[in-house]
Amino acid sequence: MTLVYLPDSEPGPESVALAPSPPTLAGLRVAVLDNGKPNADVVMTAAAEALARRTGATVSVITKKGPRGESANAAVPCDPDIFATVVAEADLVITGAADCGSCTAYSVTDAIEFEKVGRPAVVATTTHFETVARTLSSSFGLPDTRLLVLPHPIGGTDAATLTAWAEAATDRLIALFTGAGAS
Amino acid sequence: MTVTSRTTYQPEMVELADDGPEAMLELLAERGLGDGLPVVPPAAERVDAMLATAEGDPDEVLFTLQPRAGIVTRRVVAINAVLAGCLPETFPVVLTALRALARPEVNLRGVNATTHPVAPMVLVHGRIAEAAGFHAGVGAFGPGNRANATVGRAVRLAMLHVAGALPGSGDAATHGQPAKYTFCAAENLAESPWESYALSRGVDAPSAVTVHCGEGPHNVHDAEAAGDPALILDKIASAMTSLGQNNAPISQAEYFIVLGPEHARSLADRGLTRGDVSSYLFDHARLPLGVLKRHFAERAWQQWMHIVSDDDHLMPMTGDADNIRVVVVGGPGKHSLVVPSWGVTRSVTLPVEG
Repeated sequence: MTLVYLPDSEPGPESVALAPSPPTLAGLRVAVLDNGKPNADVVMTAAAEALARRTGATVSVITKKGPRGESANAAVPCDPDIFATVVAEADLVITGAADCGSCTAYSVTDAIEFEKVGRPAVVATTTHFETVARTLSSSFGLPDTRLLVLPHPIGGTDAATLTAWAEAATDRLIALFTGAGAS
Repeated sequence: MTVTSRTTYQPEMVELADDGPEAMLELLAERGLGDGLPVVPPAAERVDAMLATAEGDPDEVLFTLQPRAGIVTRRVVAINAVLAGCLPETFPVVLTALRALARPEVNLRGVNATTHPVAPMVLVHGRIAEAAGFHAGVGAFGPGNRANATVGRAVRLAMLHVAGALPGSGDAATHGQPAKYTFCAAENLAESPWESYALSRGVDAPSAVTVHCGEGPHNVHDAEAAGDPALILDKIASAMTSLGQNNAPISQAEYFIVLGPEHARSLADRGLTRGDVSSYLFDHARLPLGVLKRHFAERAWQQWMHIVSDDDHLMPMTGDADNIRVVVVGGPGKHSLVVPSWGVTRSVTLPVEG
């Protein structure tokens, strides 16, 4: 017998908690935070509008996450001014699209920052990136990050199909925000 | 960035049936670890021999590696260096490369998670390159030299084991790429017409390490340029203008231009400095605005680039000549390499420290 070291050390993230989930969404304001990935705005806006129709919430902000709400870089955190605007003008956030590797890392990063300041945040991801999104959520200290898993791919799919996918996901989206169902 | 509040960390040990490579490989496979190749079992005496080249507490928490915020101590790095087959004298290079990769401007969270086939390229400069047996000449990025091969591999093993860049979870690279096994060479200072790359970046130390997170090398062959260095540089510019590179829509991204010594000499003989090479390539590696707009709805460009409106205007592939980094590596032959960037990452050059 011989003794050897394991090479994988330990993860050292600080643990993060979800923001309190509101019991109902009526009257709450929803922000769509678009990372500029193709069709992210289409699918997330459709999801937000479907949620608003169903619950009596309103869609208060639709913006890209880059400086001045303009051209976004999906592989960096949300611009600080845009982050502040969303916190000031919305109670709930839908962010994404998390349909690649680095954009998933930073969509989850953004969602966690919103959760920390009391804004429940859902990450719109896809079936093909759910495992990556869940792994990264754990890596960043919030395994329970609210993930809305949509079909893949978002980029390259027509608007009518994306809208149908978003509308079909409304029950899950409501459950994620209200804490009524596991993500 | 996520950090840890721990100040020390002691890695776990487990029992193996024997000290042979098969048992160790099986242990890694059971745990979803390793790069798939045989490893040297990290028994305590081997890890201690590695640590003998480092100063400081072996169990001091130095930094974490993203996306997993994995804890890095000298001992954790030594374990991975042993696994990779490193000689102890190369250990400070592994440690310095990881220190560099932990810097925020590298954006390792994105580098490791992305679908893009990015791997850290490790370049070794100065005294330790020679003293520890790194290779800068013919075939420098290829097989056959233990220091280059094992140091690059140790960096990758730390990405897998500590940073959590496991394919399919912490690393979403669509294809991966061979440079994710190992990607390390020394600067060929002996045959470079210019000062050390590290010194050119303001790092005045006996030994230094550069990391650049990019694609695998794109080759540039020019055997026709005798007496006309513009022909060499125009071919390099051609390799820089591929629309498939992340550099096209991301203007803060760097290029590493890895000149073979013969090309470097041809350029220097015409009086070109390293900065002249960067300026020429900034001026000549260009595509029309209309082409870039057609292919990229989202362009992470510097603001001055966004206000250009003439679709025929030739736009540079990166927003600043200083993003085009020039280094000499390799042996005889009329070849040079272009190493594009992942994009939202900056290279880092650090002095070698224990």
